[in-house]
Amino acid sequence: MPLRLRHDKAIDAQEREPPSASARRADQGLVLEGVSKNWVDQRRTALHEVGLAVGRGSTAAVVGANGSGKTTLLRVIVGMIRPDGGTVSLNGRDSARDGKRYRSKIGYLSAGNAGLFARLSVGRHLAYSASIALLSKDDAQQCIDRVLDAFALRDLASRRVDRLSLGQRQRVRTALAFLHEPELVLLDEPHNSLDEHGVLLLREAVGDLTARGGIALWCAPAHSDLEASFDRSFVMRAGRLEQL
Amino acid sequence: MRDLLIFFSYRGRLPSQLIGVAATVTLFYYVSRLVKTPEFPTPQDYFAFALIGIVVIRALALSFGGLVGTVRQELVAGTFERMATSPLGPIFGTAAMTLFPLTLSLFLGMATIGFAVVAFDVSLEWATVPLALPVALLAAMTLVPFSLMITAAVIAFKQAGAAVRLFTVIITVVSGFLFPVSLLPGSIRWASDVQPFTPVIELLRHLLIGTPLQGPVIITLIKVLAFVVVLLPLALYLLRASIEWGRRRATLIEY
Repeated sequence: MPLRLRHDKAIDAQEREPPSASARRADQGLVLEGVSKNWVDQRRTALHEVGLAVGRGSTAAVVGANGSGKTTLLRVIVGMIRPDGGTVSLNGRDSARDGKRYRSKIGYLSAGNAGLFARLSVGRHLAYSASIALLSKDDAQQCIDRVLDAFALRDLASRRVDRLSLGQRQRVRTALAFLHEPELVLLDEPHNSLDEHGVLLLREAVGDLTARGGIALWCAPAHSDLEASFDRSFVMRAGRLEQL
Repeated sequence: MRDLLIFFSYRGRLPSQLIGVAATVTLFYYVSRLVKTPEFPTPQDYFAFALIGIVVIRALALSFGGLVGTVRQELVAGTFERMATSPLGPIFGTAAMTLFPLTLSLFLGMATIGFAVVAFDVSLEWATVPLALPVALLAAMTLVPFSLMITAAVIAFKQAGAAVRLFTVIITVVSGFLFPVSLLPGSIRWASDVQPFTPVIELLRHLLIGTPLQGPVIITLIKVLAFVVVLLPLALYLLRASIEWGRRRATLIEY
């Protein structure tokens, strides 16, 4: 049974529309149309009319050199950066208009190793993330148990994250991205610090995600870093996205 | 809950805060021995007057300074990004961040007054002390809009520490935290009427130590409520605007 936000009923009422149109839009997956972003102070175009469509239950990879715009693209998709032009939607929900509902369907793993509270335990991190994902108490516990197993974190649950290795922290960060059973998971250089076992767990999590109709969008500097095969592959060159 | 857990993960933090409370109260007790003015018939009267001011100053410092520090820390650690991309979102998430400093302020305020009663024999108006708790909660509500505006400034400009310290000092002066506003020169006395802290502290002093109010209680309460009703939507608007500005400029999670 899909997880529900605590305020889903109110949102459902607002979003009511003819079932046929709704069903059509709900099957669209991730769709970007004409997404542009300019850095005004640098007089540079970060994203140039980017178009992208990734269907449900599939994976896509975006490779590109450092500074080519991969992370900016992910930040636009997750809603941290507002594009100057174009639209982003996930299964018919617009990133700008349906903010809360849209965000509830996205898991995001940023590049690097930031985003953890040094003095909180792994278990507390998961509980906190479940609370800001607005999961009900029962759903939260179910999700926490699932990712503790999926990312081999059960033995680390009571450990503070500043006492974990970098690879273990990366497993925690990845678990947080998958925690609330999102429909789309954005992975920015996710293999960072992961050992072979960690990479395997990540691949399995992506497999589970696509098996239930989810989408994984994976960014890496080069194909050699991808560690997995994808349904679609793109290359980002100076803010332009090209299919490989 | 998250902030509470982080706070208590530093074992010495609460004891050091309580020692700080005791030290400040003790300092003011001995300074008050030097005060002999027509406004305060005995040094103990001034001590009781200043005691309530100390409580509110600490609440201001914790709520404003503490929040600036927390938001900065979250931006640097990258945890703000997690909240901003969650269904809870940056606005409710930031608003929730104001709760812990306010709760801690209330607890330390009670500890401050309790210590002064036990150690320095401050006499409270026990009949009206229970009413001080809801008024303290209302006082906390007056801090929320300012906390949100300060957070909006941190998100937009990344630095607000110096401005917050200056604001706290100005409020301390014009609200009569440590001396009566009647001592202020007429040219700046108006400033004590255009912010909520003057009526809040007058009300708290009235309920806790029996200082006479300048007008009826109900008028003072309405004044405080009016400030909250006007300032809270304004603060939320500014917070939303600063977050949207950060999204457009791609600086939301920069530090």
